[in-house]
Amino acid sequence: MIQVSNLSKRIGDVQALNDLSFSALDGQITGLLGPNGAGKTTCLRTVFGLLKPDNGFAEIDGINIAKSPVAAKQQLGLFPDPFGLYERLTPREYISYFAELNGLSRSDAKHATSSVIEKLHLADIADRQCKGFSQGQRMKTALAQAIVHQPTNIVLDEPTRGLDVMSTRVLRDILRDLKNQGHCVLFSSHVMQEVAALCDQVIVMAEGRVVAVGSPDGLCQQTGKASLEDAFIQLIGTDEGIAA
Amino acid sequence: MSNKTITMIRKELIDAARDKRSVMAGLYYAVGAPLLMCGMFFMLIGQLTSPEDLNININNPQGAPDLVKYLSSKGITHGKNEDQVEGEKVDTKDILLIISDDYASNMAKGISAEVTLVADASNEKLQKSIRRLEKRLQQYSAEMGSLRLIARGIDPRVMQPIKLNVEDQATPDSKAGMILGIATMTMIYAVFISGMNLAIDTSAGERERNSLALLLSHPVSTSQIVISKIVAVTLFGMIGLLLTLIVSKFAYSFVPWQELGFSVSVNSRFIGMMMLIGLPVAIMAACLQLFVSFLAKSFKEAQSYLTIVLMLPMMLAMAASYDIAPETLQWLPVSGQLQALIEFIKGRELPGMQLAISSLITLAISAALAFGMQKSLKSEKIVFGL
Amino acid sequence: MHHGMYSPRKMGVDPTLTLRKKVALAVVIWAAILIPSVHALPLTLSAPTSVNTTDNSCYVDGLSERMNCGSISVPEDHDRPEGKQIQIHYVVMPAIKSSGKSEALLAIAGGPGQSAIENAQGFDQMLTKVRQSHDVILIDQRGTGQSNPLQCVADGFESPLAINESDFDTRVETQKCLDELDADVSQYDSLSALRDFEAVRQHLGYQKLHLYGVSYGTRMAQLYMRDYPEHVATVTLDGVVPMQQSVLAIGDAIARAFDLVIQDCSNNTLCHNQFPELAAELAQVDTELAQAAKISTIADPTTGEATQLTMTRSKFKGSLRMALYSPSVRALIPHAIHQASQGNFQPITGLYAMSMDGAGIAMGMHASVVCAEDWPRLTPQLRASTAKNYFGREMLKTFEQSCAVWNMPAVDASFSQAIASDIPTLLLSGELDPATPPSWGEMAMEKLTNAKHFVAPYATHGVAYQSCGNNLIAELIEKGAVSDIDGECLNKDIRRNFYLNASTVEAIPSDTEQTAQSEESSLSQETALSPKKALNQ
Repeated sequence: MIQVSNLSKRIGDVQALNDLSFSALDGQITGLLGPNGAGKTTCLRTVFGLLKPDNGFAEIDGINIAKSPVAAKQQLGLFPDPFGLYERLTPREYISYFAELNGLSRSDAKHATSSVIEKLHLADIADRQCKGFSQGQRMKTALAQAIVHQPTNIVLDEPTRGLDVMSTRVLRDILRDLKNQGHCVLFSSHVMQEVAALCDQVIVMAEGRVVAVGSPDGLCQQTGKASLEDAFIQLIGTDEGIAA
Repeated sequence: MSNKTITMIRKELIDAARDKRSVMAGLYYAVGAPLLMCGMFFMLIGQLTSPEDLNININNPQGAPDLVKYLSSKGITHGKNEDQVEGEKVDTKDILLIISDDYASNMAKGISAEVTLVADASNEKLQKSIRRLEKRLQQYSAEMGSLRLIARGIDPRVMQPIKLNVEDQATPDSKAGMILGIATMTMIYAVFISGMNLAIDTSAGERERNSLALLLSHPVSTSQIVISKIVAVTLFGMIGLLLTLIVSKFAYSFVPWQELGFSVSVNSRFIGMMMLIGLPVAIMAACLQLFVSFLAKSFKEAQSYLTIVLMLPMMLAMAASYDIAPETLQWLPVSGQLQALIEFIKGRELPGMQLAISSLITLAISAALAFGMQKSLKSEKIVFGL
Repeated sequence: MHHGMYSPRKMGVDPTLTLRKKVALAVVIWAAILIPSVHALPLTLSAPTSVNTTDNSCYVDGLSERMNCGSISVPEDHDRPEGKQIQIHYVVMPAIKSSGKSEALLAIAGGPGQSAIENAQGFDQMLTKVRQSHDVILIDQRGTGQSNPLQCVADGFESPLAINESDFDTRVETQKCLDELDADVSQYDSLSALRDFEAVRQHLGYQKLHLYGVSYGTRMAQLYMRDYPEHVATVTLDGVVPMQQSVLAIGDAIARAFDLVIQDCSNNTLCHNQFPELAAELAQVDTELAQAAKISTIADPTTGEATQLTMTRSKFKGSLRMALYSPSVRALIPHAIHQASQGNFQPITGLYAMSMDGAGIAMGMHASVVCAEDWPRLTPQLRASTAKNYFGREMLKTFEQSCAVWNMPAVDASFSQAIASDIPTLLLSGELDPATPPSWGEMAMEKLTNAKHFVAPYATHGVAYQSCGNNLIAELIEKGAVSDIDGECLNKDIRRNFYLNASTVEAIPSDTEQTAQSEESSLSQETALSPKKALNQ
């Protein structure tokens, strides 16, 4: 579970986060929906302790990230945007490396890596250097890195950006699997359909604050609109920065 | 060292080893620098040991044919005789030797016959030739002086009231000190050059490729990250140093040092000593380069910063090997180690105290830089370039 | 041969290069008699000062560089290994860049009786190129230098300038010397010394040696080739004494060198114009002095004090003979002869002073070698031809007496056999050599199947010191073969003018004689001033 309480963060002249509070529960997929510049990435970076909030705190499974960063991060898997692959490592080395950084022993990390490679059907590219990978292959590798150590919480920053249709479908299936296994999945997105199709809970953000929280259907009802898209525009007052 | 640190070091090394640029940087230097030095020494030795004929202008050579013949037998000739050297242009030095009109008559009377040497002594290129000419003229004069005394029934040894015996405690190795000082400088510089590309790649490069943020999102402390990167870069520097030493060992053995009257041998004892003394320098080089690279916004920017920053150890090294260093330099990194190494090469006792202090100072600077880096990795500005 | 064989380095006139030691006066006289031509005699008995040994590293006279010194103990009589032991001292001048420990160059001095170690500076200079890659070994041959030197010091005589050599009783003085020596002089011959050399080689652990022998040293080198060919890589014989030759035949070579210098002068326009009657003048002085010595009071060449000079035929011809060894001193000979013919013996005195203590020869060892190896080989025929000239006669007279005292066992006939060898061998002769003429080099070639003989047209005795000969040695050692060696560089004309008066080698302007007088007043100031200038500098 990821819980964010009263987060505020100012970056330069911009109030990136403004008293932001929400929680993402285990066994659910939570979507963080907002237009570009709404503060989604800042929020996620704060969850990972990379940015220090001016106010408020983030807790991972009840552990304050600012106070016990290592313990808290152990419970997190990050699917970053951009992926941040090491181009000269193979997926196997890459995944195994991060597994070890999360405290797995060398042999455990190997096993975990093998199983995640199998799970994500990465075997055919697992021992090639990442250089020259397609976007889909990169996505899978980054995702494998995020889940190899089986964290309770998986955070994805704009996971479908730049992915083709096939890869997007694969990603959705995996996220659903994770949810079914009881993981807490939190992802940010500005793509309406994706959120509508996947999420149990949608957190709509604008200008650093939560505008609305609920299931996609719930949000439609709340705004009295037929589609989530309309509901969303209603909620944030504009359609700027939102993709259908 | 924790498992995570070891894991990170291993990853850094695998990553670096596959990076052609990082590897080649070290390799080019390790092979190139000693070979370039060798080439330079070859030229130097060639110049010193087989002095070409020195062509000068002699005014009134017919006034002193024996002197002119003597000089010519010592390779100093009147340059105007182009016809004797077919095709090739004779390089006549800008030195004029004027034999006075009354040379022969003064000589015949037993009084000093005048010879005037006209040259620009501030002209570096001429100095060697001027000295050579002067030396030969003095020898000629001394020989004639002795024979004049004999002709007068006097033992010429009376002109040498003092017989100076010199007992030079230099060994053939120590005579090589100056030359090896320069060579040692290029060797120690290997730790800077060999690790440089890796240092940039693993810091500024890592951030540029967005993997730094990912790494920081994982449960590792910033000090673990800093240490692993320092170790990796240090190792690269040391490998570069070792390679440079090995290449030097072979390359230098082909240089005909003996023609300069001394020997230069890069033996295993020297290599061992160099590696030992070079380690703190390599650590400092790694810290310095990582620190500067982390401050830079991009790979390119880091490169240009480092080019400037690396002037500093270069200058310290030069100061040490040319022995123009003020006293304080012996305590500083690079120059301190170099001075100790030069002493070692000269076969003197290793200045333990000086070496220990300069090494400690080197390590202290490294620690400060590492601490600064560790702090900077916690800074949002540095990590995200905000 | 005698002093004749000494290496010419010693005769350099550059004051910074003359390293001779002050001579025990009586020794000079004794030597002067023993070897009529050369009044040289060496060395006080305090030899060991020149090498200071500390843990093998030491310094030798004239070289600032650190050397490795040492000595080995050998039986004085090799056939009685348990008998008296003597120390053979050696110096290794280390290679600047060693090419491996297995080969070194052994440089053998002349004399017989010269110390190789005392001549280290000359060897070092000459062998600079060789030393770049090879150690150079100098051994004080038994009876010389520091290796139990057989010196003879006689006393009770006047100064060497005042003595009349014909008053000297060689037999008595030789006996006195023999009585004072604590040595079995019969053991100081070349073959005994050869075994010492080989022992030093083994001690130092070199597999093979390159040999350089100069003058008498060429005999040692040839014996080394004969007896230990497996340990010899290459050989250079410089100023060759062939095995077939008794050195007592040197008188012919001296006479030949005298003829050459007079001929050279008459071929040289300047010299000929200045000294048109040189041959006649030489004969004239020689005849006068043969009749009676000329006694005068002169300033001592060294101390400047008034002293008596007894100018004898021995001093006159001996001084000129010694001057023939050095190309630069040789230039003074016509002037010296001419002045002597005018009654001025100053130049002769100067030359005599140069050779008075010059050679550094251990006379006892000299006698051991000559009396064992050369005197017995003097056939009646050779004796007759040797007696034809002055130096030959003097030498016969001296050794007749001293060898009778020294009583050395004669070498057997095999000693005189030409060396048959295919070891790469370079032979160098100087055309102007007053000791070992080029014909001797040819004689040594007789059974050498892998040898080259070069004659340097402008060199005297010790070609490698005066020409590019030293480069040829370096080349021989580097290549290990004589086939590619080209002696062309030896032909470079390095001749210098003869001295036309006591001051100049340049043509004397015709007006000098007149203007010298008229300018004297104006010049006197300058000449008075310049010594002071010199002192101030």
